[in-house]
Amino acid sequence: MKKCVQLLLALMLVLGHAYGQESFPSVTVKNLQGKDVDFSKLIGQSGDTAVIVSFWATWCVPCVTELDNINDVYADWQRTKPLKLIAVSIDDARTSRRVKPFVAGKGWHFDVLLDENNNLKRAMNITDVPYVMIIKNNKVVYQHTGYVAGNEDELLEKIKNL
Amino acid sequence: MKKVLFTLALGVCGKAAVAQLDQLTKGHLSGSFESYTQYYRKDEKIDAIPPPDKIGSNNFFKLDYTYRQFTAGVQYEAYLPAIQGFPFNSTKQNRSEGKLVNRYFRYAGERLSIQIGDFYEQFGSGLVFRSWENRQIGINNALEGVSVQAEPVNFLKLKVVYGRPRKYFDYANALVRGADAEINMNELFTKKPSGNVNVTGGFSYVSRYQEYTGTADKFPATVDAWSGRMNIDKGNASLGVEYVHKASDPHTANVYSDEAGKAILINAAYTAGKFGANLTYRGMSNMDYRSEREATGTVLPVNYIPALTRQNDYLTTNIYVYNAQVAGEAGGQADVFVNLGSSKLSLNYSQYSALNKPGAILSPGKELYFRDGSLEWKKRWNAKWQSILAYHYVNYNKYIIEGGAHEMVQSHIGLANILYKYSPKKSARLELQHLYTKEDRGNWAAAVTEWTFAPMWSVYVSDLFNYGVTDTHYYNAGGSVMKNGTRFSLAYGRQRAGLFCVGGVCRYVPSASGVTATLTVTFNN
Repeated sequence: MKKCVQLLLALMLVLGHAYGQESFPSVTVKNLQGKDVDFSKLIGQSGDTAVIVSFWATWCVPCVTELDNINDVYADWQRTKPLKLIAVSIDDARTSRRVKPFVAGKGWHFDVLLDENNNLKRAMNITDVPYVMIIKNNKVVYQHTGYVAGNEDELLEKIKNL
Repeated sequence: MKKVLFTLALGVCGKAAVAQLDQLTKGHLSGSFESYTQYYRKDEKIDAIPPPDKIGSNNFFKLDYTYRQFTAGVQYEAYLPAIQGFPFNSTKQNRSEGKLVNRYFRYAGERLSIQIGDFYEQFGSGLVFRSWENRQIGINNALEGVSVQAEPVNFLKLKVVYGRPRKYFDYANALVRGADAEINMNELFTKKPSGNVNVTGGFSYVSRYQEYTGTADKFPATVDAWSGRMNIDKGNASLGVEYVHKASDPHTANVYSDEAGKAILINAAYTAGKFGANLTYRGMSNMDYRSEREATGTVLPVNYIPALTRQNDYLTTNIYVYNAQVAGEAGGQADVFVNLGSSKLSLNYSQYSALNKPGAILSPGKELYFRDGSLEWKKRWNAKWQSILAYHYVNYNKYIIEGGAHEMVQSHIGLANILYKYSPKKSARLELQHLYTKEDRGNWAAAVTEWTFAPMWSVYVSDLFNYGVTDTHYYNAGGSVMKNGTRFSLAYGRQRAGLFCVGGVCRYVPSASGVTATLTVTFNN
């Protein structure tokens, strides 16, 4: 067993060197047009821009409240600092078809991705939604579970201070 | 000489090990701990009977490490013992036990990824195959084996799975194997795929094997299922169709029916500016598909068949919740979402009924199983005030959905949820709800008030009151504190017995009374 682990570690290092630079797990999610998006590449391409990744679901009232509240000030935020918000829906096959029309009916101005079998949620070890992360230069610099009114101001403060 | 060589080798190895560690700290480490603990007390008013040692505690610890294309992870679970109503095998109930249940190693390359160990996967919408985890419901049918995903050419995605399903701390006495191919028609037929039309087709094959040593020849050891699907997406409009066929498979949960199973799922969505709509039809017959023919309840599903209804989040709207009837049902759902600036409207209508005759999945019959028509209006009045008003009309065929001698329940639900943010970091919320019905246990009224103090604290008090018939208060009070990836909450009160559903899968939860403590910790470096 021990030898196996050593061998795997060695293999990881040798092969790992030869390939890309992304440090997040390569997990495929879908955009609202049904196309595959690799999360680690998406984050890898963002570089200096602070990316707010918000895990939510159509049936989660505090999640929707948080995203509604961010949407109201999103344009102002973007003028303050280079940032973007990616809202990852963890709706599974029961409700995932509702996401696209739901987003249209909300008028949200940020990107929405679908994590239908919760592969990304699992890879990032998220147990409950809402869950928000700020990622910059491939590093998680802030994360927060749950939402109470006013938490969104904290997000902007964190990004300003990065 | 040998000694010198040995020392030298050790030194080199040690240095390499340090260098390795240094490299490895540049990877991504992610982990979580979740603990859900209940202390039960006897409460005769709601027939709550505590287990022998009055405590239930479900605990999960998970760790994943990614370095470049490699990921490895483990999951440890401990039930000390399992909380009441958790669908453990009867032999494990009231026994404390912990085990390392999942471990995996994954390589994810540009066009090929391989996972060895325990894994989760889904084909299409899951109607033919889904392995997933839901801790609240107590479902974890991860497969232990091998999963391969490949993209040999740009227009083709292949998935192959092979393994034995997890059954709590053990594995099912069965094998599940499957393959899925998804073809992107744009990539296949056009030289320059245009950005706004996306056409994909898919085909899946799934087979489960369970040895059969009995003498009756109607029980096949291998049960096959296949499905075909097609999705067209053109910017603001989309259409999807999925069809599943399952071979004859008499087992306990389908009452030994040897009819073949089939299902069709049709979905159309349209968005235009400030408007979005979604229309779904689903018909199915004999679609209960399990890896062991003796399994019942929420144990060992191969496929995933959620109730396609609006998923609600309020006390009174969660009393009559539909559970999809896999033996046979047909119906659909319509959603309309409208953005009127500071007002948002959401309309939903869903209806499911029996099939006209077994197998007639395109022909809904007269016997109604469930109906939910609802209208929700969310309004932001100003920076301080927000409100949600909603009305639901619900028909619930209790005889079909829960079993036993029950009538059709006809109910009206009205609710108001008012949020007042009285300072930048402080808010108060009030929910008032009422469910009106002449049937079953009669009327319910509910009130919730919650006070939050950003960034960390929130407290609430709630009461769900069943009046007229049982005159029972289901009161709760609690609070939570959260910081970064950690949340701790404590609550005291009563839990109503009934079907507890998450994501359309339900289990029966008995009445309970007492204290509940929840701790969740997540970290990502």
